[in-house]
Amino acid sequence: MRSVFVRHRWEPYLWILPSILLMLVFVVFPIGIVFRLAFSNISRAGVVGEFNGLKNFQDAVSSPAFPQVMLNTLIWVVSVVGISTLIGFICALVLNRPFAGRKIARSIMVFPWAASLVIQASVWNYIIKMEYGNLNNILLNLGFLQDPVNWRISYQIEFVWECAIGIIVTIPFVTFTVLSGLQSIDEAYYEAATVDGAGFWNKLRHVTIPLVKPSLTVSTVLNIIYVFNSFPIIYTITKGAPANKTDTMVTYLYMLAFYDQRKGPATALSVVGFLILCIASGIYMMVTMRKEDSGL
Amino acid sequence: MKKFLSLILALTMLLSLVAVSANAEDITLDVIIAQYGPNTQEWFLGKGMDGSNFVEKFEAANPGIKLNLEVVSWNDLYTVVSTRISNNNAPDILNIDVFADYANEGLLMPVQDYCPEELYQDFFPSFIDQSVIDGTVWAVPDLASARALFYNVDLLQEAGVEKVPETWAELEDASQAILDAFGGEVYPWGIDMTTDEGQAAFAYYTWGNNGGFVDENGEWVLNSDANVEAIEYAIGLVNKGFTNPNPATQTRYDLQDMFAAGKLAMIIAPNQLPTYVTDKEGNVNLATAGLPHNEGATSSSVGVMDRIMAFKDDAAPDQAARNEAIGKFLTFFYDPENYVGWVSMEGFLPAVNSAVGALVEADPSFQAWLDVLGGAKFYPTTKAEWNDVKQGVIDVEQQALTGGNVKELLDALQAKIAGK
Repeated sequence: MRSVFVRHRWEPYLWILPSILLMLVFVVFPIGIVFRLAFSNISRAGVVGEFNGLKNFQDAVSSPAFPQVMLNTLIWVVSVVGISTLIGFICALVLNRPFAGRKIARSIMVFPWAASLVIQASVWNYIIKMEYGNLNNILLNLGFLQDPVNWRISYQIEFVWECAIGIIVTIPFVTFTVLSGLQSIDEAYYEAATVDGAGFWNKLRHVTIPLVKPSLTVSTVLNIIYVFNSFPIIYTITKGAPANKTDTMVTYLYMLAFYDQRKGPATALSVVGFLILCIASGIYMMVTMRKEDSGL
Repeated sequence: MKKFLSLILALTMLLSLVAVSANAEDITLDVIIAQYGPNTQEWFLGKGMDGSNFVEKFEAANPGIKLNLEVVSWNDLYTVVSTRISNNNAPDILNIDVFADYANEGLLMPVQDYCPEELYQDFFPSFIDQSVIDGTVWAVPDLASARALFYNVDLLQEAGVEKVPETWAELEDASQAILDAFGGEVYPWGIDMTTDEGQAAFAYYTWGNNGGFVDENGEWVLNSDANVEAIEYAIGLVNKGFTNPNPATQTRYDLQDMFAAGKLAMIIAPNQLPTYVTDKEGNVNLATAGLPHNEGATSSSVGVMDRIMAFKDDAAPDQAARNEAIGKFLTFFYDPENYVGWVSMEGFLPAVNSAVGALVEADPSFQAWLDVLGGAKFYPTTKAEWNDVKQGVIDVEQQALTGGNVKELLDALQAKIAGK
């Protein structure tokens, strides 16, 4: 029977037309432009010239900084997504249990997420400053240190700081996605498990994790995309210095485009990043979805 | 009711069309101005020019010309401009530092096409020379700054440094004395090798060793022995602990903050530093001197100059009228009544003769800075490879900071640049 509200078959399409148009204009169209630019000659001033095949890609990949940048990107994504998912999951488990002050704890958890990333990165940049940073000040005043410590003594350590800050700002997102999954789990499963004699670990393994998996999948896929594309932390703290040794792909291609004025290779790299993300999220979703199907 | 509403709507649209066509002879100039300080926006668009602003005053004085003026921060300036060029939407008038890429790609108009002769004669000739490629002037200078050594008089005195260092050897002795006197509390010397302005460090040390970016014929000589020695000396200062600890990420502004807080004893900075220190509520007893140089070499200041340029617009219906409008913009901007206030507000040095008298009268220290500027060297910004060189020398410095061999790095850079 046809609904009385739908007068024409095309009507639903009419209602979603605005969103489709917006997506076309603000998502599909720019992606198309980037793809075109990636295969075109772009002058230093920004004039788009003729088609030049794969030259931009060759230029980008043959740059001496490229291997280090890709390695950094891998470390950055795996460490930030991996560790923040682990800690975020634990936080969600804790926040899902009833305890006094749970509401306050949950709101505190949201704070880092609610502040803008650039501001957080600038604040952290200030905290770890050697000259008048808060970390040194606190440790000096508490008597743990006699002299100020240079918390950024080498670029490797600076990169570790960047990853750590990335983890801290990502935890709330994971926590809340997982928490929403946890809250939808019926108490009855746990009661049944308790009756069957399951302890904490068994309940976690056989009840919680399988049931919260859809939320975990969503948070991990989104996180991979966000973290891969995350720009403010690294740009604010090191700008990739020294000599691109702390750059990830996104900050590197920004420097390439707007400091080095090499926009062709930069757009080529952003296409590569887009494809990497498509493939990575595709594989991850396929693997997790398949497991869920077989589990049913 | 519906009919009535649609009638009103149609009428409004018609009227607005009429309104547009009535001003069709107006010329609108898209202008992008660089944000030099916290007051730039107010001066051009707010109430910072005796309760009015530049755009209002200009439009009142030049009927028929409208300004679509935008003040853009230096952080975004290059991005904004290149995006606009990519979209075939270049501004008519642009205020920025670089110009060679735009000129080489045929995007700019020669200055003689739009700049009135009287105004042209007013610019310092040595500044105009910095914007010439193949015998054509492509931009006019808007302002300049000169670099000098600033030192904290009290800190040097307390450390027992009696003579302000003139040579590199004296600089090391003074640094050691400051280090001995204050331990880690005060950094003797500031170095900025960041992507922000690492090319300035290259200039300070290589020019202080009779080296530099180019030889007397204007050819790149990045890997000359003098340059290698100079950069090794600078890296040596870092490795000996005489400087701020993270030169690859601590920008000149970080250093200026430290200087204002009394944590840095000596810094090479532009002439606005005293204003900067006051703005930061720093209380530093500061004085200036020439840049330290190697034994047997000469000291030379580093001049930095920004520019105003006009882009071609083949779609403009009346080119002559457009050129004239651009000329009027420049004439109004450089009119001492407007320009003197702007230059002194931004704390820079002027680019036109007509502004000197009023500025020196207001602040006699200006004369000394104008003299410094007269002998200053400028970056080779007219050369097409300049941007690659600039990024290249910063990369060399940062590689050297992490243990790279200066000679090999500069050899590689020279081969890359000269091999092009």
